[in-house]
Amino acid sequence: MSEAGFKELKKGGMMRQAEAGLFSVRLHVVGGRLATPQLRAIREAADRFGRGEIHLTTRQGVEIPHVPQDALAAVKEFLAPSGVGVGVCGPTVRTVTACQGCRVCPSGVIDSPELAGAVDRELYGKPVPHKFKVGVSGCVNNCMKAEENDVGIKGWIEPRWETPACTFCGVCQAVCQTKAIATSGDGRALLIDPALCIGCGDCITSCPTGSMREEIRGYRIFAGGKFGRTPSLGKRILGILRTKEETMAAILAVLDFFREHGKPRERFGDTLRRTGFPALETFVKERTGLP
Amino acid sequence: MTTPLLDITGDVCPMTFVKVKLGLHEIIPSGKLNVRLKEEALKNVISALKAGGHRVTNVAREEGIFVLEITKDG
Repeated sequence: MSEAGFKELKKGGMMRQAEAGLFSVRLHVVGGRLATPQLRAIREAADRFGRGEIHLTTRQGVEIPHVPQDALAAVKEFLAPSGVGVGVCGPTVRTVTACQGCRVCPSGVIDSPELAGAVDRELYGKPVPHKFKVGVSGCVNNCMKAEENDVGIKGWIEPRWETPACTFCGVCQAVCQTKAIATSGDGRALLIDPALCIGCGDCITSCPTGSMREEIRGYRIFAGGKFGRTPSLGKRILGILRTKEETMAAILAVLDFFREHGKPRERFGDTLRRTGFPALETFVKERTGLP
Repeated sequence: MTTPLLDITGDVCPMTFVKVKLGLHEIIPSGKLNVRLKEEALKNVISALKAGGHRVTNVAREEGIFVLEITKDG
């Protein structure tokens, strides 16, 4: 097979192995979630077409290694009725990762699998200048490591201070890990610095009088993260977004920016190093009208 | 009657929470308990108290130590 042929197979989730003639078949998994019939089909496929081995990837993916080239079409066909699709590789939008989100996790702020599903439906496998990874953390405990992704999302709580009941007891300031809450000069107001606030909601949970309240329970976007040979962490862009729809609109605009400004085989973080983050923010805000 | 004082400054989570819970067992409904604790125990202790229906009705501070007046659910 030609190199171009191997590349095409790779884009379609069939990765050439070190051993000639064998492939690792990447499967389509969203947010690390599989139903038991899917798992049974994957087990059966690994036994039938591979060597009875399944590889769990670093980003919640599943691969069946050791599949001979002449069985690639058959494995795909075998898995399809159970709703297991074949994955993607190459310069495409990759597996969308997610934690269990607010429906399962007591710390969860957003329904991360739901958002991951929406992103997957809209973008999975779509062509981009270089691989593009999206990950969704349900809260700022950040189990899904939002800043490692080209676009990472975190569930985020924005606090609002209300005057009447506050006794200035100092509990919110004591529990705030980033020291984002200051007392005003005259000692009669609390000021929350949005640049320092990490959206954990600890001040709200701890406030004895209910003076710290939730202003927004929403989504925060981080852009330009990657690992690989030269890792860099994604940075916060935009304000706190209120809905899944706003978040999707922002992600789509970020991808448009990457398509316009990214060079082939250039990771998004490197594109942003050239253009600067303000260029991205301006573009996304203009495109979406978001804050 | 003076409000009983529970000092948990030498404890770490989850003992902080356990001791407060046991301390509240000795208190009559709507009665008060003072708890002396370190800054790092504030979040977990207060959120557990709120979840249990109790209220923090006063907060005093001294050099990194807090004294919470807790009013038992009643």
